[in-house]
Amino acid sequence: MAAGDVVLRADNLRAHYVLDVPGGQKTVRAVDGVSIAVRRNEIYGIAGESGCGKSTLMKALYAWINRPLRLVEGTVYYTKDGKEFDIYALSKQELRRLRWTFMAYVPQGAMSIFNPVIKIKETYRDFLSSHLKGKTVNEMFEMAKEHIDQLGLPLSILDAYPHQLSGGMRQRVAIALAALLHPSVIFADEPTTALDVVVQRGVVQLLKDIQESLHNTIILVTHDMGIHANIADRLAIMYAGKIIEEGATEEIFKNPLHPYTQFLINSLPQFGDTSERVSAPGQPPSLANLPLGCAFHPRCPMAMPICKERQPEATVSGEHQVACWLHAEGREAEHAAHS
Amino acid sequence: MAMSFGSTLKELFRDYRFAVAFILLCLLITLAVMSFFAPHDPTLWYTAPRDLPPSRQHILGTTSRGQDVFWQAAFAIRNSLIISAIAGIVSRVIAVAVGLVAGYQGGKSDRILMFITDGFLVIPLFLIIVMLAMLIRDKMNIFTTGLLLAVFGWAWDARVIRAQVLSLREREFTRTAILSGSRTLELVSKEYMPYITPLAFSTLINNMSWAIGMEMTLSIVGLTNMDIPTLGTMLKWALNYQAILMRRWNWVLTPVMLSVFLFIALYWMSVSISEYLDPRTRVQRVGVE
Repeated sequence: MAAGDVVLRADNLRAHYVLDVPGGQKTVRAVDGVSIAVRRNEIYGIAGESGCGKSTLMKALYAWINRPLRLVEGTVYYTKDGKEFDIYALSKQELRRLRWTFMAYVPQGAMSIFNPVIKIKETYRDFLSSHLKGKTVNEMFEMAKEHIDQLGLPLSILDAYPHQLSGGMRQRVAIALAALLHPSVIFADEPTTALDVVVQRGVVQLLKDIQESLHNTIILVTHDMGIHANIADRLAIMYAGKIIEEGATEEIFKNPLHPYTQFLINSLPQFGDTSERVSAPGQPPSLANLPLGCAFHPRCPMAMPICKERQPEATVSGEHQVACWLHAEGREAEHAAHS
Repeated sequence: MAMSFGSTLKELFRDYRFAVAFILLCLLITLAVMSFFAPHDPTLWYTAPRDLPPSRQHILGTTSRGQDVFWQAAFAIRNSLIISAIAGIVSRVIAVAVGLVAGYQGGKSDRILMFITDGFLVIPLFLIIVMLAMLIRDKMNIFTTGLLLAVFGWAWDARVIRAQVLSLREREFTRTAILSGSRTLELVSKEYMPYITPLAFSTLINNMSWAIGMEMTLSIVGLTNMDIPTLGTMLKWALNYQAILMRRWNWVLTPVMLSVFLFIALYWMSVSISEYLDPRTRVQRVGVE
């Protein structure tokens, strides 16, 4: 992978929620040593079950660290116009200017993503006026109309209040808004939650269309493996604050290496297959109290003694990397040494 | 939300209290406006014969100072309304500014601003106002009286606005706005103001009636400029000339009745607008359509 191709790089990112509880502090290790490199012109999917730290990882990536969340270690580098910079080294002012123009955020399509007391067009104008001055706001607003039209949304949405739009429409408006200034990176946090499958399809298609026309990067977080299979170019599987497997989506679906990924993929229904689907046994671990060794070992049918003692390092084979003792290099030797 | 101003007004008029308050207030404002066409300077004495009962020429009679009670009352209501409007508007500006900054900024600025606000809430306001009014007694006119009351009338409403902003700050759309690179000033002034404006208006009315009452109290104690006719000074002069003992009811009851009407109008208006703004009570009153 050429270094110039990487638009976002995180090294050993650790973001913990530090909570004050009676008798001391409680640390929730929501993101615990994540290293990723996201390339230009790809849809990068992040998958994992609820409470595995996907949303926190997103927050850390777009520098939205508010108490009690704290960035403990690591940092995030973005590449803009061929220059790499550390997002946490920017001033508030610089960060504000980058938002929406360089890195945009698509919120989950909840009721309250837009200000309920003003019309959608006011929201557009308000956001535009923070980035542009005077006349250009009106010009940009005209462009926004064209943009909305191109994306196949009715122009009447601009005159609507948020509550007059359906959930799916609101989500599409949120996506259209995020893409308006042609950002290089779009973060989409569970964009299809609470939408039915038909509407989901429209939303996913819109994301895909935008990516294809802008050739930019979309980082898509969802627990829905079906969506990932549909649009993600590369996929990272997250478990207990760590990325346990990463690779091209097709490769992961065809040849999942980590037992957890295997559970995830085997639990998806397939045409013509009527056998009962098996899901991963047990519950995800509490991020405040992780088991020693590999966090998945209490639920893993293939757990070995070493899994309870040491965390596996990521093993890379080509584009596909996995953090599991089953696939660790020289694991036979280590296994023998322990038994 | 898409309701026009007209239909909002129509809905409000379904409450008899609002209708009565609105008509009363309109009459009182008309009276205040009439003062611009008064035949005499209200500060001059003996522009009319003294102590006349109501007659065709002097509708409400005249005072012991030789002034027409009706025209005095017109000036009094005008000045009282101006004082209360100055007090209300200036204190609203302070309350909105303090509430927005404390609520949005949080942290240290919140603690400092709320310390000051709580200070204003707990100190015995009346004594402090009386003391300050004594200090600047020579300079007391309707503007300074209004400003003096404004300085002390914002604390409670600043807290109310801060509470609203605290809730707005945690809503999802705030996050959408910030992650779209909105400036803090734009976010607060454009996205939050639609929520704050109704609050500011409904507290404005309450604050105005508080200011009118406070001005009357200061006048009775004799701390405002006695030459400027207000509801307070008018009452003060009437009492000074033993109007009750002499049974000059036309003189003493005019400021009393006018202030009673004014208070009722402002209070009912405030209650009915607050109820209108609160969807729960609105449903109870109007019924589900």
